[in-house]
Amino acid sequence: MYEFQRQHPIASVSKTLREIRRNIISILVTLFVGASSEAIPFHLLIYIGIPLIFVIGVVAWWRFQYKIEDGELHIRSGIFVRKNLYLTRDRVQVIDISSGVLQRLFGLVKVDIQTAGSTSRDASIEAVTAEKADLINRLLRNGAQQKSADEEAESVESEKSKVYSLPGKHLLIAATTSGRFGIILSVMGTIFSQIEPVIRESEIFDYLFSMLPSQTDGIMIASIILIVIVAAWIFSFFSTLLMYGDFSVEVKKEEIVIMRGIFEKKRITVPYNRIQAIYVNEGLVRQPLGYASAHLESAGYGDDKGTGSLMLFPLIPRKKVEKLIKEIVPQHDVKIDGYTPPFKTLRRYIFRAAFIILLITGLVYYFLYNAAWIWIFPALSIFWGWLKYKDAGIGWDRDNIILRSRTLSKTTAIIKRNRIQDISINQSPIQRYRNLCTIQVYVASGDHGKSFSVKDLDYDDVQMLYVDLQKRKEKETERELTIPQRKAETTLPGWKVNVA
Amino acid sequence: MSKPLFHKLPPRAIRIWQWSNSIGNLFLFGLPALYYLFFQDSVNQVFLISLIVIISIIYLLYLLWIPFLQWKKWRYSVDENEIHLKRGVIIKRETLIPLNRVQHVDTRQGPLLQWYNLSTVSISTAATTHEIPNLDSEIALRVRSTISTNARLAKEDV
Repeated sequence: MYEFQRQHPIASVSKTLREIRRNIISILVTLFVGASSEAIPFHLLIYIGIPLIFVIGVVAWWRFQYKIEDGELHIRSGIFVRKNLYLTRDRVQVIDISSGVLQRLFGLVKVDIQTAGSTSRDASIEAVTAEKADLINRLLRNGAQQKSADEEAESVESEKSKVYSLPGKHLLIAATTSGRFGIILSVMGTIFSQIEPVIRESEIFDYLFSMLPSQTDGIMIASIILIVIVAAWIFSFFSTLLMYGDFSVEVKKEEIVIMRGIFEKKRITVPYNRIQAIYVNEGLVRQPLGYASAHLESAGYGDDKGTGSLMLFPLIPRKKVEKLIKEIVPQHDVKIDGYTPPFKTLRRYIFRAAFIILLITGLVYYFLYNAAWIWIFPALSIFWGWLKYKDAGIGWDRDNIILRSRTLSKTTAIIKRNRIQDISINQSPIQRYRNLCTIQVYVASGDHGKSFSVKDLDYDDVQMLYVDLQKRKEKETERELTIPQRKAETTLPGWKVNVA
Repeated sequence: MSKPLFHKLPPRAIRIWQWSNSIGNLFLFGLPALYYLFFQDSVNQVFLISLIVIISIIYLLYLLWIPFLQWKKWRYSVDENEIHLKRGVIIKRETLIPLNRVQHVDTRQGPLLQWYNLSTVSISTAATTHEIPNLDSEIALRVRSTISTNARLAKEDV
């Protein structure tokens, strides 16, 4: 360990795959453009491109070296630009040892070394043998643990950590109602629009036409759309199954460990002091069924994309959300008085939700498709606006602030007040006239931030919160809470209230 | 707790906004140009001219009037606990940044700002970056050092 060493050669393959996955969009674009352009011979692109990517992977593996000396991890990497990363053992917060499909095929593991900063994503050793991983773990960890050997023994004893796992039935429901469906549909739509001309020119179309007895073009297109939707749903079903299969959350004294994935096992350790906010999502389909998903925002612990949003629990009956929060993240288990937007804002909510849909429907009805049933869309959007109005709310006490709102799914965010990065109040001219405002609260999450906002709250209420936040620095005893004089309309987060 | 003391931007800031608007909004005139290029055969004269007139009015508004309003609405204050920003011509925006959340403060100066001896202070937290634009360079330095000193003091408290 005192000499520089390389990873297992298999790391070159996993590096290559990761590069491909990271640049998938530009690769697809190149392929599509290349396929349709005459200037560059297409096969040349493939014959040069694919080996090139693998060569890059191999060189990246060759150039990646690491050593541990005096409790300091030193990683050298980079193909053209040499990058040196030094991590001292005091800074190491968490070491995650996990294994993907590739690693498991060769009996290897992946070691992620995490510090508070976002640079820790680079301190990931892709493929080493289990013994080496163990050695790394001991060399980097023992410094922190050494001084408290007794404590450790004690903590091992007391650390009968509780594990919560996702029942199979819930996993199936989660996969069925997964919101990934929409994203996949749009991706498929783009791909389809690219390959559609190819299909049209080929004989498949003629063949299909001859197979189906006397179909009009319209029915043909409708059935194609239906097929695409079903395919997207099936795809999202299975991808959710693979992603959240084998899901479990382990609660330890100072951290929680989230494990998920069937083929690619992911293990994410989140220390409690890095949790910035908890939010619970109730999707359009899931809410009527009585289910929700719980998420958390953590600082510094982003995934590859640098977002800090992590799935805390993919699916849970809403009756149990409160219990879940109490047991996994007890500091976020609070109940406080909430204030909803005044009744006069209902029409603003409905107007915002329905206006564009109403306009489009009107135009379509008038010019294109004269059928009464399409007015169901504006009716739905009015209902949607009413839901948005009903779900909006804000509440705060000395240490917490809860924001509840709905875009498509209903989101309830529970934020510790000392985790707020900044807070903004926005007022449009009409809002100013009606004494309303929109509040936006930022918390840290991964490399960037995440904001939660509620629209059309009473300006005076929010002003109270604003004043209250400024008092934050005064002595604990002197601090008194400013809350609106009027009676609280609701209790947040309000799981129980809505169930009854 | 005393009310925060708000400051305004220097009037020279208006000039900066005027310059940047006058250049940045030139693209608006691309719209009628594009329209003319695409529909060469069947250009609707009335539509084209009214488009140009409307765009010219918007352009002039953004050149002559909006920067003045922007300057009028901008307020900032820095005290030992937090930074307040107030701005917005059409949509009013108030922001509160607790000082112990500030990660770093920069001052920036492009060629245009340099010409007018102005600087922009940008304040970064772990989640967002906010700017106090077009401050007098001297004052910008002072604001920056006030923020960083106070931020350090605020951190020690926590």
